[in-house]
Amino acid sequence: MTISLTRRRAVPRPPALQPSVTAGSRQWVGYAFLSPALLLFVLFVAGPFVAAIVLSLYRWDMLTPARFAGVGNFTAMFGDPLLYRSLANTFVFALASLVTHLVGGLLLALGVNRLKNRVLSYFVRTSLFFPFVISWAAVALLWKYVLDPSFGLVTYYLGKLGVDTPNWFNDPSWALPSIIGIDFWHTIGFTFVIMLAGLQTVPNTLLEAARLDGANAWQTLWHVTIPMMSPTIFFAAVITFIGAFQIFDPIQIITPQGGPDNSTMSVVMYLYQKGFQSFQVGYASAVSLLVFAVLMVVTLLQFWGSRRWVHQ
Amino acid sequence: MGAPVTGATVPVRRRHRIRPARVVLGLVLMVVGVLMVAPLGWLIVQSLTAERAAFSLPPGWLPRPFTLDNFARIDGLVPFGRMALNSLQVSLIATVGSMLVSVLAGYAFSRLRFRGREAILLVMLSALMVPVQTTIIPVFVLMRNLGLVDHLAALWLPALINVFAIFFFRQYFNTIPRELDEAARIDGASHPWILFRIIVPLSGPALAAMTILAFEASWNNYFGPLIFLSSPQHMTLPIGLVTLQAGQGGSSVVVFAAITAVVVPVMVVFLAFQRSFAASIASAGIRG
Repeated sequence: MTISLTRRRAVPRPPALQPSVTAGSRQWVGYAFLSPALLLFVLFVAGPFVAAIVLSLYRWDMLTPARFAGVGNFTAMFGDPLLYRSLANTFVFALASLVTHLVGGLLLALGVNRLKNRVLSYFVRTSLFFPFVISWAAVALLWKYVLDPSFGLVTYYLGKLGVDTPNWFNDPSWALPSIIGIDFWHTIGFTFVIMLAGLQTVPNTLLEAARLDGANAWQTLWHVTIPMMSPTIFFAAVITFIGAFQIFDPIQIITPQGGPDNSTMSVVMYLYQKGFQSFQVGYASAVSLLVFAVLMVVTLLQFWGSRRWVHQ
Repeated sequence: MGAPVTGATVPVRRRHRIRPARVVLGLVLMVVGVLMVAPLGWLIVQSLTAERAAFSLPPGWLPRPFTLDNFARIDGLVPFGRMALNSLQVSLIATVGSMLVSVLAGYAFSRLRFRGREAILLVMLSALMVPVQTTIIPVFVLMRNLGLVDHLAALWLPALINVFAIFFFRQYFNTIPRELDEAARIDGASHPWILFRIIVPLSGPALAAMTILAFEASWNNYFGPLIFLSSPQHMTLPIGLVTLQAGQGGSSVVVFAAITAVVVPVMVVFLAFQRSFAASIASAGIRG
């Protein structure tokens, strides 16, 4: 910053150029470059967001004229047990996802970072990341077969180990954990890559210094590596939670009705059913604003909390 | 021990101390890697196995008897080729279009001065917290009014606005020295010329990262087509897979063949670009 400022003063400019950059007559250039983005933004993001707020105040089925409902949709949410259920499921999913991804991603990154064998390192990195590039539709269908109670891989090999497997997606206490597991398989590569990149930003000189001071591996990890990686870990935490809270694809594909006893019903699944299956558009909009509010509060909390522990 | 620590002694001592642990670590990670790819291996093997022998127990890890028949049967059940072309069309338009829009906007935010610049950027960034699900219902209503429901345009049109890419490009362009384009401007170069002849050619890694992420998001999109599309000839691959699986007469091996046909090209592309792919995601993560 300071360098460029002093330079600006030191290097004299042609008098004609300086005003033309800032003067009002040239402002249209900026708007011209921005106009496609601005138009699309208003049309598909800002406008619809405002419209969602308006819609949430109405009762509308997309066919008959909308009727004003005031805060009726919001008060109705308080007495909606299925909404509570879907919120609880979503929080469980998002928290489980957060913890398993951060811990798993960090451990895997630490492990792979220590591998000296290049072939093995390439194999592990590739195989961890492979599932992430595959669409959820393909992943969800594949895992329906992998966990099939009669011929699935997991059923067979766990049976060989003497483990009695449940009927994963039809058992109310196993349906959500199954989807948590599949999500781990699909998405861990992303967290892993971010962690690995963060790990490589830890200065070697610090690690060497810690070793020379007699720190063991655990102390080095806890007092040097993790603090130095805290911005990366923080970023991964925010991204993982926001993504997980919007879980929809695998739930809709594997358990189209929201699972046995609504055990896999997520908020987004619920708002999809309300909006596009029973056509309660106003109510669905109100639920979508709830999703927005939760994400905003959690993100702000994470940012606020990060000031206490993220290494700057 | 009293010897001065030199660059030579430290690594040697360390390597001797850690080696057994490293072997165990290597084994553990190898098992993890195998477990990660096992479902994919099983998928491909079953899709190449004749129907009467597929899904046998213990699970077969070689396609015996080998056949390509399962793949030939996909197109009779769902218009697979058509859906692949639809997916390709949507992803290409969405990716190229959104990159163009984002590069222009990123340049405006990085290099041009106009009233409200910071405020507009701030509003756009705060939209990153608005989930798709909040805007999808009004966007659906808008598409219905435009007569675009059940058209591929309903998928790529909203994808053209990519706030994350705009912000990412702005950050990246800010790291390119201003002296470069200011010199060109003194020589009389126009803004489009500067953007496409100076800034864009210097932004290879950023462009690659955002292109890959945009294409991947569009190619794998399930929520969009589920809501906007209804007729089979307009479907994209993710919905096509689920339709095939739920449909009558589609046996499991054919479903596996279809999944394989969708997954393997992505895997090949990924292997080809693995280095830049992982690096770009990592850089997007670190800078984002």
